[in-house]
Amino acid sequence: MRFVQIFPIIIGFSILFGSAFIGLVITPNVTSSIVRMPSPGLVAYTPAEQRGRQVYVREGCVYCHSQQVRNVKADQNLMAAFGVSKGGDYYYDQPHLLGTSRQGPDLSNEGRIWRRDVGQPARDYLIGHFINPRNYNPKSIMPAFDYLSDEELSDLTDYIQFLGAWKDKPKGEPS
Amino acid sequence: MTSTQEQIERQTLVLTKLSQDFPLDQPDSASRTWLFSGIFWMLVTMLIGVIEAIKLFYPEFLQGIAPLSYGRLRPVHVNIGVFGFMSMGYLGAAFYMVPRLTQVPLFSERLGSLAAWGWNLNLLAGCVAILMGYSKGKEYTEIPLPFDMVIGLLVIAIAGILFSTIVLRQEQRVYVSLWYILLSIIPFPIYYTLGNASKFSGIEDAVINWFYSHNLFGIWLTTMGLATLYYIVPKQVHKPLYSHVISFVGFWSLAAFYPWNGGHHVIWGPVPMWVMTASVTASIAMFIPTFATMVNFGGTAWGTWSTMKRDISYRFSLLAYLCYVGASLWGSVLAVMSLNARLHFTNTTIAHVHLGFVGFGVPGLIAFTYFYLERSLKLRYSQSLAEWHFWLTVLGIMGYTLSMGINGWLEGNAWEAGSGPQGTMVDRYPYHIARAISGVVVLLGQFLFVGNVIKTINYPTPLTEAQPTITAISDRALEKATTL
Repeated sequence: MRFVQIFPIIIGFSILFGSAFIGLVITPNVTSSIVRMPSPGLVAYTPAEQRGRQVYVREGCVYCHSQQVRNVKADQNLMAAFGVSKGGDYYYDQPHLLGTSRQGPDLSNEGRIWRRDVGQPARDYLIGHFINPRNYNPKSIMPAFDYLSDEELSDLTDYIQFLGAWKDKPKGEPS
Repeated sequence: MTSTQEQIERQTLVLTKLSQDFPLDQPDSASRTWLFSGIFWMLVTMLIGVIEAIKLFYPEFLQGIAPLSYGRLRPVHVNIGVFGFMSMGYLGAAFYMVPRLTQVPLFSERLGSLAAWGWNLNLLAGCVAILMGYSKGKEYTEIPLPFDMVIGLLVIAIAGILFSTIVLRQEQRVYVSLWYILLSIIPFPIYYTLGNASKFSGIEDAVINWFYSHNLFGIWLTTMGLATLYYIVPKQVHKPLYSHVISFVGFWSLAAFYPWNGGHHVIWGPVPMWVMTASVTASIAMFIPTFATMVNFGGTAWGTWSTMKRDISYRFSLLAYLCYVGASLWGSVLAVMSLNARLHFTNTTIAHVHLGFVGFGVPGLIAFTYFYLERSLKLRYSQSLAEWHFWLTVLGIMGYTLSMGINGWLEGNAWEAGSGPQGTMVDRYPYHIARAISGVVVLLGQFLFVGNVIKTINYPTPLTEAQPTITAISDRALEKATTL
């Protein structure tokens, strides 16, 4: 080992890295362990929702808001109200927006709180809240997105109202 | 007296080269360009970090300016931290170490320096693109096309230079720093391309995103940092590395377990159970390389109290070492499923990451820079400024880690008691202020550091006889001859 050459080192760690690559990248792609079907009721994004999602990506909402409810005690209230997130819920998500931090609340079911069937009041609240959250909650630390255009705010609202709303549709009803 | 004058003359020559004729071809010019760029980006990322920290308790700060909104600054802060500060700084260290450990000149100083300038411009353009709203949206892959692919291509060029130098080496023995550098440069293009150019959707996208991201920390940043510490610590204490065998165990267990860690970012999430299990197991198994590093550096550092008192550069190495061990053990513990259920999504994760970057990344690079000024340029830097710099850095790291760590723990408990992020908003306020103050303290320390470096280079004071002995152990004697 005193005169250890570099090729055994390279071959050694290539095998180790390769096994992790096979385990975490290739296996999930060739086996059926990752859900390859949308969850029942989930529909693809409309163009407006997709544009709103792009605003969500661009403004970095994901850094403070997760989009997943886990089966753990810390998520007990979310779980009781909305149920646990499943793999198929994210079928149409590209890029994924699962999130890693909760400076603000989880948004995976936001569309079931500010529901579309409430009509204009829900939209007005969401848009007003984007423009300045502190008009609604003086303690809020969310940035004010007052620089977004009316169209962008409308698209973003469409996207937020989509989140989780599809879970409320009665089964079998055409979307 | 004559020797001092000669030394001054030699220094003047070195410094003329350094400052006047824009060196691309001199020995170490690649190393210098990368290192000083890394230090520059360190200041930038910290400054952005402080702005963000202020926004988290005083959201009206710089409000209403789209490129300076929190959600756009945050990816720039992270990308400059990863690709600017740590990647560039430690590549500077690698360009310094490789020619010395191989006993041959660097394969191409010119290509190395040009790559650094290309990297700087490309990173700047990529970050401006994020601020303009062109983020790709997944953590650590935000830099958009074509700037993300330019980073990949430049790493291939850099890997080519370093790899060629190692292959053409004169020194038969391959020191442990070179193992870590090889592990850093060879798999990088594979997972980087996968992470940045892939078009998966949903859960697959998340799993691959975290496979890429964790490799970026594990077998790019951590390995480059450890390579640097393995090189400078024996030289700072004037004795060989404690144990070749333990560094062997540390390296191979790190190479075996780190690439599996990615899935621990989605524990309890909507991913297959076996992805979680594999990643949790590997994360906990990271105790082995952490423990090996702990014993090896601990053994090397044992009984060096007088050096510690005198040599500030060495103290920074020890600080980096302590924080590396702390951040790694903390990371393994955070991956334990029951603890993760409580602490995931809270500020503990942020404390953990910053202990890694500000605690390990920053002091490691500073240790190398002071080491470089003293041992390579043979210049004396201001001890009092460096002393202030050290204690401000220590204070800032402690403040950051404690404020966010305690806050995260309280958050986790509150969530389990039925509260949520909105319910803990008021409780978080004082901790967010404490975090911002800690950030300012760290930043102040680094301004002193940069001032010290600039002063040392522009108004050189050569080391004199009264200075501590600087006859370090040679590059060929970093570890004891071993029969293994």
